[in-house]
Amino acid sequence: MSAVSTPTIPGPRPLARRIGNVVRLHLANPFTIIGTPVIVLGLIFAVNWMIWWIVRTAAPSDPQSVADVADGLQYSGATLWIFVYMMVVAIMAMNLTFSFALGFGSTRRDFLLGSGLTFVGLAAIYAVAYILLAALETWTGGWGVGGTMFNSFYFGVDSPWWLRLFHVFALFLFFLAAGSAFGSMYVRWKARGLIVFFSVVSILIMGAVALVTVSDSWPAVGEFFEVAGFTGSYALSLVLSAIAGAAAYLILRRATPRN
Amino acid sequence: MTAIVDVQDVTKHFGSVAAVDGVSFRLEEGKIYGLLGRNGAGKTTLMSLLTGQEFATAGDIRIFGESPVENARVAEQICFIKESQKYPDDFKVKHVLRMAPRFFPNWDQSFADQLVAEFRVPLDRKMKKLSRGQFSAVGVIVGLASRAPLTFFDEPYLGLDAVARQLFYDRLLADYAEHPRTVVLSTHLIDEVSALLEHVLVIDEGRLLVDSPADELMGSATTVVGGRDAVESFVGGREVIHRDGIGGLLSLTVAGLTAAERATAKAAGLELGPVSLQQLIVRLTAGSTTDFTENAPTTPIPEEARA
Repeated sequence: MSAVSTPTIPGPRPLARRIGNVVRLHLANPFTIIGTPVIVLGLIFAVNWMIWWIVRTAAPSDPQSVADVADGLQYSGATLWIFVYMMVVAIMAMNLTFSFALGFGSTRRDFLLGSGLTFVGLAAIYAVAYILLAALETWTGGWGVGGTMFNSFYFGVDSPWWLRLFHVFALFLFFLAAGSAFGSMYVRWKARGLIVFFSVVSILIMGAVALVTVSDSWPAVGEFFEVAGFTGSYALSLVLSAIAGAAAYLILRRATPRN
Repeated sequence: MTAIVDVQDVTKHFGSVAAVDGVSFRLEEGKIYGLLGRNGAGKTTLMSLLTGQEFATAGDIRIFGESPVENARVAEQICFIKESQKYPDDFKVKHVLRMAPRFFPNWDQSFADQLVAEFRVPLDRKMKKLSRGQFSAVGVIVGLASRAPLTFFDEPYLGLDAVARQLFYDRLLADYAEHPRTVVLSTHLIDEVSALLEHVLVIDEGRLLVDSPADELMGSATTVVGGRDAVESFVGGREVIHRDGIGGLLSLTVAGLTAAERATAKAAGLELGPVSLQQLIVRLTAGSTTDFTENAPTTPIPEEARA
């Protein structure tokens, strides 16, 4: 290997630029990430609004009944599907966008950092939009018919807006991180990997349930979440999100896009 | 010699299968290489290794003197057009072409626009809705317009019609002349591209069989054409690579003739012609070759051997 020279090549473009390119890749077709959820949300809202209107028209109008209806509507899960949708977005990104990015000369590391940035940004934007819609809902007296879609029980109706913002953000982040982890497992180990993973997780959960039951600790568990409250529980979800994100990173760094 | 690719004893195992098995070679700057071999010979795996998409089980790969694995510096100099490239589910052609300039530093937008028009690619159609030919055309456009110093085309023209394939060859050659770079072309359509190739690598069952300049490889064999008896007596006990005969006419392909032998053949009224690269490759990779010539003396190459 004597007289072999190697041509010099320019240094890589700055990391920020490379990561920015990956973010742009995720947003190349904004319809998937923003357009579709907004349209579906609009449809669900329209159907819900009609139901609220019917309930308001049909239900007795004494203050007690109105309060009962409002109380019941707090448990509306009409927006929870967006979180699952975001998980699917993350799964698809890890599978197809990953393969495409590598084909376009991105490193795994740059792709993962760019994806992480995209997902955190997406969770933030969606959380802000969610809380703004919740404020609008309050301001319009439940969209004029006493309806509830965004001031949902699950994010703490009694919490101040900034805490609810944190709750929604944490939940978006959790679903995106979990989707990233599932997606990367699929890329690396295909369906078999996911089956093994979910089997192990199921066994662990059942084991934990058995342990808590046998040791008669359910009251302690209940007390823990009561003390933690919404904010504490959502803060705890950040730990799970961090684990899932780290798992996605470590798994995909050694993965290869294949058919 | 300026080696931009230096591969030393590289092996890639998938379970117990060695997809690439102890391969060593160098690629020089500014040449068009043909990476030839049968289905499953290890061509795509080899290119995936060179572009850092696969991790080698053993051996050393240097691209521009560096390992290609997780190397942004090297990755920016490479364009790998994979026959089975996946695209995000919601991507239309325009999204692919809009992203390309961000990832390929030498991207030429006006060249890309020209190619889009010439290949008649529908910009507003989803990638997954494209026909196989259109799908391949998108890859060809990205591969050409990216002007990457090291460009890999893995079966770039699956499904492309004859006009589009010719367009690809023409544009590749013209652009290559203006912007010299290193191109690696893997293909089954050997005869169609043989004029393009300056150097040929033949891989079979994961092993490198041939690493030779194309003209040298084609010069290593000659086709002798003439009357059946005259050809038979001239060729004698020589190894016959390929045999074709119609009536009294016989065409035999034989290995390496000396200048004196050529003169003898000419004196005997025989015609000497160049040999097709495809025939050579088929011969090299078709497995048991003596059976091939003895059992099928005048039949054309079986279809499966061409694939």
